[in-house]
Amino acid sequence: MIRPRLVAAVAGREVRTLLRNRALLAVAAAFAAVVIGLGGASMGSPGGYVSLTYDLLLPVELLVPVLAFAIAFQSIRGDDERGTLSILRTYSVSRLEYVLGVFVGRALPAFVLVVAVLGAAGVVAGLGAPATSSFLATHSAGDTPLIYGRFVLFAGWYVLATVAFVLAASALARTDREALAAGVGVVVIVAFVADLALVALLTTGFVGDLIGVLVGLAPASAFRGLVLELAIRPAIAADPGVATGHPLVSALGLAGWTVAALATAAVAVWRPVER
Amino acid sequence: MSEPVLEFADASFAFGDVTILDDASVALEDGTFVALVGPNGSGKTTALELFAGLRSLDTGTVTRPATTGRTVAYLPQSPRFRPGFTVREVVAFYGSLVETEVDADAILSRVGLGGATDRRVDELSGGMTRLLGLAQALIGDPPVVVLDEPTSGLDPDIADHIFEAAASMAADGRLVLTTSHDLEAVSRYADRVLLIANGEFVLDGSPAALVEQAGAERLRDVFSATVAGSGRDAVDIDARTEGDSA
Repeated sequence: MIRPRLVAAVAGREVRTLLRNRALLAVAAAFAAVVIGLGGASMGSPGGYVSLTYDLLLPVELLVPVLAFAIAFQSIRGDDERGTLSILRTYSVSRLEYVLGVFVGRALPAFVLVVAVLGAAGVVAGLGAPATSSFLATHSAGDTPLIYGRFVLFAGWYVLATVAFVLAASALARTDREALAAGVGVVVIVAFVADLALVALLTTGFVGDLIGVLVGLAPASAFRGLVLELAIRPAIAADPGVATGHPLVSALGLAGWTVAALATAAVAVWRPVER
Repeated sequence: MSEPVLEFADASFAFGDVTILDDASVALEDGTFVALVGPNGSGKTTALELFAGLRSLDTGTVTRPATTGRTVAYLPQSPRFRPGFTVREVVAFYGSLVETEVDADAILSRVGLGGATDRRVDELSGGMTRLLGLAQALIGDPPVVVLDEPTSGLDPDIADHIFEAAASMAADGRLVLTTSHDLEAVSRYADRVLLIANGEFVLDGSPAALVEQAGAERLRDVFSATVAGSGRDAVDIDARTEGDSA
């Protein structure tokens, strides 16, 4: 049974740790500057929110794993290295309660940051836009903020999944060097390797119509698939006819990776001892 | 005599070929301050982790208090608390993990940190960090407190203060089990000494009784005579070091 009081206590400590870490605040500021800067570059663009979503999709896909790495890679490993994990274990906090607390305390601020920064980018991009956007003459549903709102929420979900990945790496590592290597490895795998593997599969010719499903199995492409299918496709008049991802599989993939990563972290954080 | 609150029965544990406990048994009672001593590499820290429930025995049984709540407190050697937090915040955080109300200021005063409650942990000296660790060990009022080398690297006055604080915790009815290489302090403060070597508790008794039985003058002499040739095969402690006169 999970005791919410203990999860909240651990989470509260993680949130305070993030807010008091100047280096992390600098990383958050840099992320905000880049994303809002890109939003500013689209200020008044006739392409509207669809164009802005396209503009931000790739940067967010790459920057979010880096942000997750900065926020979470030292969390569990740091407690172990300082000796405080041994102390915590004498307080009858279960492995799952501890990992969930760390996840909530690290991922929730990351979620808020990503959503707020992307929201700010949307506001900045909307400044100076014509009253009735003409767009690219391809939008049927109109360029409503709803389209962009979906993208923002999917980006928030993506950061939850990537933080879970980094937490698993932090729990599996036994030294600081391992934690660093594992954290970087997670970023590279999430952002690049999984996509490359999909491309490699495509070139074999065996994938065929399954590409929409397979895309949902890798975190970054699942995020991209959700954005393209649920945020952008409804706003485009002419259906491109090619599926960029199966929405249900992508949603289940992103959620599945999150749960699997947290379960891995909970199992790896320490070995249970019979009381 | 009071009932044992912490007990190994036929306990064995090894890291591969390195034996830490070999069918060892011992029972420790509440209200006592027990010092676990032994040569480097004899497995003192691992034994503490086994007592504290941080590791599992390979074979045998370990018995801990059957109370609810926090049963065993543990303080690792040279702990470092998460930077950026004040001393009071650290105690408040750990206090939020137990069912009972915790008076952070009272606990900190108890160990002598009443004047440092608002100081950040990254600004504490090594001795003050250990004292914060002791304060943390009092949270939840556990019947057993396990300390790993709480005075290593500290000046004698702070070391004495920590030993006094630990002895005071035992006087309140707890079992306090500590490892230490400071045999002079152990002689003064501990009620009972366990000497671990080659996987066994080879000496067990009060400091005075051990000294008397061995016909020695100091616990240090008893230690040296007992561990001679055990676990130190690769170390020639009589070798002349650089700077020694011929």
